Amino acid sequence: MKARRHFLSTMSAALIASMCVVGAANAEVGVTDKEIKIGALGVLTGPLAKYGNTVYDGIETVYEEANKSGGIHGRQLVYVREDDRCQAAEAVGAAKKLIHQHKVFMIHGGACSNASLAAKPEIVATKVPWVITASTAPSLTYPVTPHIFTTMLAGWMESYAQVQYAVEKGMKRVAIIAQHDNWGRSRYDPLMEAFKLHGIEPVANEEIVPDPADATAIALRIQAAKADAVILIAFPKAAVVAVRDMYKIGYKPFMIGGSTVGDVGLFTKNVGIPGATDNLHAVSTIGYAADDPAVAKWKKLVEAKYSGDTFNIYHMFGIASGQFVVEALRRAGKDLTRDAFNKAASNLSVNTDVYGGPITCTPTNHQCHNTAAWFGLVNGTTKRLATTIVTR
Amino acid sequence: MLAYLLMSGIATGALYAMMAIGLVLVYRSTGHINFSHGELFMFGGFIAYTFFVILGVPYFLSLILAVIGGFVLGILSDRAVYRPLIKAPPLTMVLATVGFSFFLKGIARYFWGSMEGGDYVAFPAAMDPSPIPIGSIMVFPQQLLILAGAIVFVVGFTIFFRMTRAGKMMQATSENPTAAYLSGIRVERVYTLTWGAGSAIAAAAAVLMAPMTLLSPDVGFQLLLKAFAATVLGGLGSMPGAIVGGLLVGILESLGGGYVHSGVQDVSAFIVIIIVLILRPAGIFGVRNIRDT
Repeated sequence: MKARRHFLSTMSAALIASMCVVGAANAEVGVTDKEIKIGALGVLTGPLAKYGNTVYDGIETVYEEANKSGGIHGRQLVYVREDDRCQAAEAVGAAKKLIHQHKVFMIHGGACSNASLAAKPEIVATKVPWVITASTAPSLTYPVTPHIFTTMLAGWMESYAQVQYAVEKGMKRVAIIAQHDNWGRSRYDPLMEAFKLHGIEPVANEEIVPDPADATAIALRIQAAKADAVILIAFPKAAVVAVRDMYKIGYKPFMIGGSTVGDVGLFTKNVGIPGATDNLHAVSTIGYAADDPAVAKWKKLVEAKYSGDTFNIYHMFGIASGQFVVEALRRAGKDLTRDAFNKAASNLSVNTDVYGGPITCTPTNHQCHNTAAWFGLVNGTTKRLATTIVTR
Repeated sequence: MLAYLLMSGIATGALYAMMAIGLVLVYRSTGHINFSHGELFMFGGFIAYTFFVILGVPYFLSLILAVIGGFVLGILSDRAVYRPLIKAPPLTMVLATVGFSFFLKGIARYFWGSMEGGDYVAFPAAMDPSPIPIGSIMVFPQQLLILAGAIVFVVGFTIFFRMTRAGKMMQATSENPTAAYLSGIRVERVYTLTWGAGSAIAAAAAVLMAPMTLLSPDVGFQLLLKAFAATVLGGLGSMPGAIVGGLLVGILESLGGGYVHSGVQDVSAFIVIIIVLILRPAGIFGVRNIRDT
């Protein structure tokens, strides 16, 4: 009798245990009753660390706000960061660590395009949902992979927007000042495509190095070509020198800047000459200047949480992307699975607090952000002047 | 157009010349190329930035403090990095200077790297930055300051070498270290002084240039390349060669960029250097071989 009772109790315990195991096996990876684990893949150390950390600080601020208001269907968002050092080889390892060691539900991040491209095969193979925040390589989301989305403008979109804007502004003689390094080529080549599509030829096509000491020769050549508009594809250091030297020789064309000078207020401060940027309009992924009252709430939250951070456009990349992911997780429902998330994200449009237009994904388009905003100085303050929906 | 290009070329060339002088100074004394010279330049700029922008010290005082800071940094680098390797093979010294350059870059990135939300900081001009007319062209006052500063430093260093005891000891050591040692000169101390002086002049160049560009931890490498080109063009080891070479590199870049294409601006000087070296391998002011200690 005693042996029978022991047998029954052992069997019952085994049955309960096996049910638990089955239950656990059915639960989605990275999801428990209390939390959803999300991985950040990006550059956290080295010269480009701010392109990763600052963006992720923005994401984490959004997550924290969601957590404070009860989480997503009662689950807290936990964000785990892994460093890809902006290098392809490191990115593969970081992706594997997030997927297999941390066992994250999804990846939310990606800064340097080369690193993100290297990590993509592992993420594709494991079918982990991935929302890209800052990488601009178009091949990350085109052709569409069902579980990969981006909330950043692709590199070509900025260039197309620049040409489109010049045409919309009625500019007839358009010149180019562009870097021809890897970064520059990724924007210069689409720029030339866009010129061709609009049936116009640049009147001058000048090259600038990323770290010039002087750009007088370039300014003189563009002035000699009688350009009425100049498209700038350059890092801030190069753009500062070019803008100063154009101003120095008394040449004041309409300047169409890229996102590197999208913070026109900061760029004007860097140029340091009153009036030199009056004719500059610059394209940006974000929809508001960092000191715009419309984003004051986020500025306050970010700067309070990260005492070393000064609120800037990179935080806004993270905030917009974070708001998209939080909404997609909500829509995916209480019984959260990766499939449910992918389905929700693929049919979602979110008006974020910081972009100039909605982030909209459809089953056939995972390049979810396509609104370029234009900024310029109005009475000494950076203001959004227009938006451009970019199409190819 | 020519006047503009010449003016820009001379102003930029003056900076290259200052950088080249620092390189030549160390090379003549020690027989080594200091591959961390660009980062010493960068560090001097950030020292000035700290005084001028963060602490509000006047520009010219900041310049002097940066020069002093650069000098001290040069001495520290000698004591910490180079002196322990004084008898090591040249390749070891190359690696040491390259390693030290990365070290300095890392330090700069840590302290100043993201102060303004980017990996660069703006260094305001010493005076009203608006361009002013000089004859038929407009120039930035800072360009004139660069020229004036370069002249002051070149003249100052010339006087130092010719008129002061320390300068003469440095000259003697560069001519023949063994003879200098036998005649009672403390050669190692001269080396220390040389590293300090080279670093100080790099810091001065950085403070003059910073308001024309932006300052970043990576700013030094490009300048090092140009300075190296200037020393090769002028004649490796020649002080007048460094000055002439620097000015020529600046002018050639400017003319090449203006009259040929902007794409050749950065390489035009190197093309001419190749031609010069084919015709005159020792450079314009070809110098004697440096003897090993």
